[in-house]
Amino acid sequence: MVYPGALKKLVEVLCLFPGIGPKTAQRLAFFLLGRSREEVVAIARAMVEAKDRLTFCEHCGSLAEAEQCDYCSDPKRDRSLLCIVQEPRDVLVLEQTGKYRGLYHVLHGALSPLDGIGPEELKLDRLVQRIEKLGLEEVIIATNPNVEGDATAGYLARLFNPLPVRVTRIAFGLPVGGDIEYADELTLSRALEGRREM
Amino acid sequence: MFYLERLTLEGFRNYRYQQVHFHPALNVITGNNAQGKTNLLESIFFLSVNRSFRTRKDHELAYFDGHCFNLKGNFIKEGFNHAVQVEYRSNKRLMMKVNNDHFNRYAQIQNYPVIVFSPDDLQMISAGPSVRRRFLNLEASRLDSLYLKELKDYQRVLNQRNQVLKNYLPRARLEDTLSPWDQSLVELGVSLIRARVAMIKALEIEAGHFFSEMTEEKEKLSLEYASTVPYCGDREEMKELFYRDLLNKRDQELRRCSTLLGPHLDDLVVSINGYNTRPYASQGQKRTAALALKMGEVSLFHHKNDLCPIILLDDVFSEFDLSRKQQLLDFLNKSGGQCFITSAVDLQGMVEKLNRTYKHIVINQGCIRDETVRTGD
Ligand SMILES: [Zn+2]
Repeated sequence: MVYPGALKKLVEVLCLFPGIGPKTAQRLAFFLLGRSREEVVAIARAMVEAKDRLTFCEHCGSLAEAEQCDYCSDPKRDRSLLCIVQEPRDVLVLEQTGKYRGLYHVLHGALSPLDGIGPEELKLDRLVQRIEKLGLEEVIIATNPNVEGDATAGYLARLFNPLPVRVTRIAFGLPVGGDIEYADELTLSRALEGRREM
Repeated sequence: MFYLERLTLEGFRNYRYQQVHFHPALNVITGNNAQGKTNLLESIFFLSVNRSFRTRKDHELAYFDGHCFNLKGNFIKEGFNHAVQVEYRSNKRLMMKVNNDHFNRYAQIQNYPVIVFSPDDLQMISAGPSVRRRFLNLEASRLDSLYLKELKDYQRVLNQRNQVLKNYLPRARLEDTLSPWDQSLVELGVSLIRARVAMIKALEIEAGHFFSEMTEEKEKLSLEYASTVPYCGDREEMKELFYRDLLNKRDQELRRCSTLLGPHLDDLVVSINGYNTRPYASQGQKRTAALALKMGEVSLFHHKNDLCPIILLDDVFSEFDLSRKQQLLDFLNKSGGQCFITSAVDLQGMVEKLNRTYKHIVINQGCIRDETVRTGD
């Protein structure tokens, strides 16, 4: 198929999005071409603005629009609880359950020697310092229920062992081998309630 | 009742395009050598297991320069029609469809069971342990969907753990870094070993029964799991023993950069009258033992799921003597499963003794040359 140059470029760029193949990219491209110039500019601006304004919270690694995220700066959140997740999007999923009111810590990954990801890459010494400073009662480990998530949870439990804090892991009801991201709110609520001591 | 009613092959091995209808009970496929008899069985197996029993490389199965092939099978299961499709394209993930729903490779391994016996299966007795581990893994996955998941996870953990061993970490950090992988290796490894041992126990009864009928009760077949990890009845105790041995092997593992204990190194020992078949049995005994393992699987699956797998026998009738051929035919007849038998010579005289209808298919250069339904009287 022969596209005009600008269209070819647009389709190529859209193909970079996860889950978008050439056919869908072409559909999206024609969708954009069918909009007014103002609308397309607004879409492009929203992307750039999100990229410019969103950073990761200095304390917990969640998405934030300032140095500190909304969870870390909210005085109403329970500061005796900390939930550790792999990715920033996992925070949003847990928030949607409405069941969790504590603080978060985002690892931005899981242990995977094959990918060169070890404890240093996940900055786990900083996590330990944070736990000590916060004086928590409980740390909830919510890594994904797959091989790497399990190993990370095991490593963390061992790491936290000398600390005076209760360590639990959410496990119940999560689809085996899946990501937290794909668990629905009800199973995730149950998983939070059914967490077990590590 | 479970059988393959219709099969379409497109670009598979030496079949450019071919549609075949099968008999629900027995299909005898004849033709000269290298005309495509085994390829036909291979395609049926591929529909069920999503890999070949002759090669691990999908591209070798494609007629058109290794680019693509399609298989479509209509299975009838308890009266319902199941359209199973496999699509291979080079550089793409294998696509599997059942009634138009998509599935990953191996996801349907329990649902359309096909068990094959071919001359290569002699390797199960004479070759190294990896062939028997592959047999154990396939059959255990067929019987237990959790096994397949744990096997995949175990292999992933094994790769991750071997990577840690290769990283030459300082001793203090090494223990911390290995610890979660040790934990998973032990947890999953113990599960796999226990599942294998349980299956082998059940298989020993079924295969042993078949074997003693084949040998007119003169010889006794026994199976034993040879594990690198001490087996014991209590799961927790077994995990502790596994940990202990892993720790003892630490230095050796670091030198070799590889995990030296676990189900990935275990073996199945097949013995006749107490003697290990691998060094001691004759060719004939080995062949009968291998056949007994496969037919034992048929019975095991049948009893467990109340469904008899489809049985593929590639060129077996040339290999056995008359009384064993008769025993095998009796077994097939009793099992009630759909059978496909290939042979270079017409088996009419032998099959007619069964007094039942069957289909005779003649294959020549990747095409069906003749199909007749023959009735016994
Ligand atoms: Zn924060």
